[in-house]
Amino acid sequence: MKNRANAEIRDPKSAWKKPDLSVKFAGIRLKNPVLTASGTFGYGEEFRDIIDLNRLGGIIVKGVSLRPIIGNPPPRIWETPSGMLNAIGLENPGVDVFLNAKLPSLRKLDTAVIVNIFGYSVDDYVAVAEQLDGAPGVAGLEVNISCPNVKSGGIVFGTNLKAASELLSAVRRATRLPVIAKLSPNVTDITEFARAAEGAGCNGLSLINTLLGMAIDVRSRRPRLANCTGGLSGPAIRPVAVRMVWQAARAVKIPIIGMGGILTAEDALEFILAGASAVAIGTGNFVNPAATLEVVEGIRAFLEHEGAGSVRELVGQVRTA
Amino acid sequence: MPQTRQYPAEVLLHRRAGGEYFRLVLRAPALAASAVPGQFVMLRVSENRDPLLARPFGIASVVSRKDIVLYYRVAGRGTTLLTTVRPGQRLGLLGPLGKGFPVPEKGTTPLLIAGGSGFPPLLFFTARYGKRARLFVGSRDKACLPPSGVMKDFRSRVLGIHYATEDGSCGTCGFVTDALAAFMDRPDRFGRPVIYACGPHPMLAAVSRLAADRNIPCYISMEARMACGLGVCMGCSVPVASGGYKRVCKEGPVFDSREISWSGPVSLQLRKAECGVRNEE
Repeated sequence: MKNRANAEIRDPKSAWKKPDLSVKFAGIRLKNPVLTASGTFGYGEEFRDIIDLNRLGGIIVKGVSLRPIIGNPPPRIWETPSGMLNAIGLENPGVDVFLNAKLPSLRKLDTAVIVNIFGYSVDDYVAVAEQLDGAPGVAGLEVNISCPNVKSGGIVFGTNLKAASELLSAVRRATRLPVIAKLSPNVTDITEFARAAEGAGCNGLSLINTLLGMAIDVRSRRPRLANCTGGLSGPAIRPVAVRMVWQAARAVKIPIIGMGGILTAEDALEFILAGASAVAIGTGNFVNPAATLEVVEGIRAFLEHEGAGSVRELVGQVRTA
Repeated sequence: MPQTRQYPAEVLLHRRAGGEYFRLVLRAPALAASAVPGQFVMLRVSENRDPLLARPFGIASVVSRKDIVLYYRVAGRGTTLLTTVRPGQRLGLLGPLGKGFPVPEKGTTPLLIAGGSGFPPLLFFTARYGKRARLFVGSRDKACLPPSGVMKDFRSRVLGIHYATEDGSCGTCGFVTDALAAFMDRPDRFGRPVIYACGPHPMLAAVSRLAADRNIPCYISMEARMACGLGVCMGCSVPVASGGYKRVCKEGPVFDSREISWSGPVSLQLRKAECGVRNEE
């Protein structure tokens, strides 16, 4: 088993020191490995009253596109066993509003701000990446590739190797910021896409995005979501996510942000042991708005209990032999 | 702005309130002290991961600035589980959330329209500004009317109560909007009427139409399925007349009825909204 992401030789004195939660992810310094998953934390402002945002490892903000998007008609969500389906339609105010109205307060925080971007053509993505390049306070870009390319028959970038490679290469060329590819789990072999992202020059991976799902009201015979299908998230998808992180971690050298149904530190540690250098809390923020900080404290307590000096020691340390 | 907080709120009282309803009293001091009528809370009905999401409930009243009272009826898995909760237990509670009703202006007569289980926010409304109000209560049948304890509180606070049931088992036979229209047509009404309504979506649509026809200000408390209650999941959005969507949990749940696009697809989809409880069947 390959030991990933700056593993350190265990220092015998480390057990007496406070464990080190910091990680360097794709060139971005994180005070701890816990981030917020895109689309589940807005632009941070709604959580300001409830938790101390400065204690987060980082905030991955809601997806930003070139122009504002009004989103899908309701119903947009449906609760499922230990999870939920959503088809929000990537509603967002667009990159200009993000830069002028959202980023100024975000950049005042003592936490890494990673901007999730998406589009419906390669040009869209490139234009957003260019606008964010050099914007003070942006630590990196996370590229949501689970969108259809309207310029080539609506094929989803993230489920077609060639389309994914071309898109990620183009974004990579458009910015000096670290580029993190958020992969779609709706593929047969995640390692192919992980390698494609690495080959395109991406600095890190986020996985997983939501799994495509559907629910039907049997009485009315209508889909539960106006969009018919939606993205499944929450604890229901966690084993799938852990498996994909484990597979991808063995296939590439770039670091991984693991996500999918994390509610507790134990959930997060599964991802870290599977090979994730950092984790993101998504749907968990809806269930418990303080989930992120509870995970940070839980990881700290686990490291103390295990006598580990740094969270980096645990990355990829699942015992498969 | 009152600050939203998260609590492990202790259950103080929990019992059947009469008819189909349960009454739940939770200790949440800061929340109780700052909440205003029309606001809601998100309540986790279990510590388990299924059901995963918290349920939204309109605040029905505040006791001694320390406790909040909620009413619900069993409408799905979450509320079924909630019935098993005992005093002494602690439940995850988040609030106060959303925007409440605007404070009635001097010289106006609030006309309160409560449909189905939509009475809780209006009960809170009458506790604060009930004196000159008139209440219109509508439901499917007598059993679905608010519990007698609630009606007693309403009676002690408002000028008059009008009942309407769809099967005629109590009050006027028909929709609550018919009773409201009949009242509006009476020559002896006084003060400038302002409508405040909470209930199922079709009722809100009908009330809004009636208000628009007569050029009466109308504020409605809307319901929607929601995941977070904080304005980040964007799951509860409803179409607005100016185009696009607004979040029930953040810009609402109380809206000026003219803001909402009533012809949008939402009216079909929220057909079985159960008031006060928005995440259940």
